[in-house]
This record gives sequence, C-alpha cells and structure tokens, in this order.
Amino acid sequence: MTPPSGDTDAATIRLHRALYVEEAITEAAATFAGLASFAVRADGEHYIIDVTDIARDVDGDVVAEFCNFALANTARLQRSGHA
Amino acid sequence: MAMTRSQIETLDPATSSLTLSLDIGLYPRDVLYAAAYVFLDRAYVLLDRQDPRFVVHLRAKRPLDEATLQAMAGEFENELLAQALRHQVVDANQRIIEDVVAVAIAGAAGDVEESGGAGLEGAPLIDPADPEDGFVADPQGIARPWEPEKQGSE
Repeated sequence: MTPPSGDTDAATIRLHRALYVEEAITEAAATFAGLASFAVRADGEHYIIDVTDIARDVDGDVVAEFCNFALANTARLQRSGHA
Repeated sequence: MAMTRSQIETLDPATSSLTLSLDIGLYPRDVLYAAAYVFLDRAYVLLDRQDPRFVVHLRAKRPLDEATLQAMAGEFENELLAQALRHQVVDANQRIIEDVVAVAIAGAAGDVEESGGAGLEGAPLIDPADPEDGFVADPQGIARPWEPEKQGSE
C-alpha cells in the first residue's frame, strides 16, 4: 500500500492505531475540512478514515497531504506528551 | 535473505514510491517519527506496522527515477540513525539540559542565589589588580593582527 491518492472523489485511509493518534487525525481532518469530508472510526488495529467530496480544483494530492498532516500532528503530540 | 534491520520491500519508479520495513526492536517509535518528519516536505509518508516490523511507505511529491528512489531509501535509513543517536544524546544529557535551563530561567527572573545557582551576580569577571587576568597582557600575541600590512600599525 502506498500513501493513498486523492485522484478520485472518495478514498479510504487505514492508519495503524499504534502509530497514529486519534486527536492528530481529527486535527488534520479539521485542517482539511474545506477540501474534503472526513469520517474517522476505529476498526481493530487501525483507524479507518473515509474521505468523501474531495475538492478537484486543488493543486496537490488532498488525501496524501492529509496523511502527512496526521503524521506530523502525531509526532508533535507524542513529543509534547499528549498521547 | 533473512529480514533483519531494514530493507527495501518495494520500489516503483512508475509511481515514484517505495516501501521500507524496519526492525521494531532496532528503531524506537520516536526515532521513526523524527525521521519521517524530515521527509514530509518532499514525500507523502505513511507508517504502518506488521509485527515485528514497522513499514514505511514513501511516495515522492515529484517524479523520481529508480536511482533517486534508492538514494531516498538510503537517506531515510541515514536519518533514522542520526535521529537514534540524537535520541540517545538527549537521554544521556537530560539532567544537564534541565539544570542549565533551570539556572538560565532563574537567572532571568533575578533569583539565581535563591534557587541554588552559582551566585555569581555582581562578582567581577576580571581582577583588575592581576596583570595576568584579562586580555591586556596578551602573552600569546592573540590580539596582534596576522596580516603583514596591519602588523606595523598596531
């Protein structure tokens, strides 16, 4: 699996719960709220993020950038001891 | 080949992507975050875990050929080592760092002596009565210009 691409109108992302913090994911979802709709749920070892209504008129890959933001937020929260 | 420390699992120039797997016991999670963070500006990074290994998916933000992708994998592994060393140094010096910061903050607040600091406030840094103390004597000729054209004018 490569970082998911937002080349379609919808995508599903699986982020491992041992490596991503839910708060970080919801923060990233809030950041990208103007570019897509995000629904986050836990499923076994992963968080499943259903991304819909992805904006087409954006320069860049919305879904992959969302994953980068979720990772950056997780790293920041882990460093500050929030998670 | 047995899967040990880290290795390239997949590498696809068509999608400018690669997958690395890393031994969980060798790289702490904080080190993985720090290394991945460095690559966020040039690649899309996705972390996963397939016990007993971390899996790192990287997709470059611009097209890359195979050689450059392999170089990126090597850079990621180098970054892991650098961050692991940094992590160790911080751990080893944590107490010293905290003490230095505590003294600095206490000094800025003006209560160095009360907080158990060195109590140097007001003490002269140079003893004017001692010709060997300070910079005036310059026995090693440190203050003398090294450029020949300036040596005569000093």
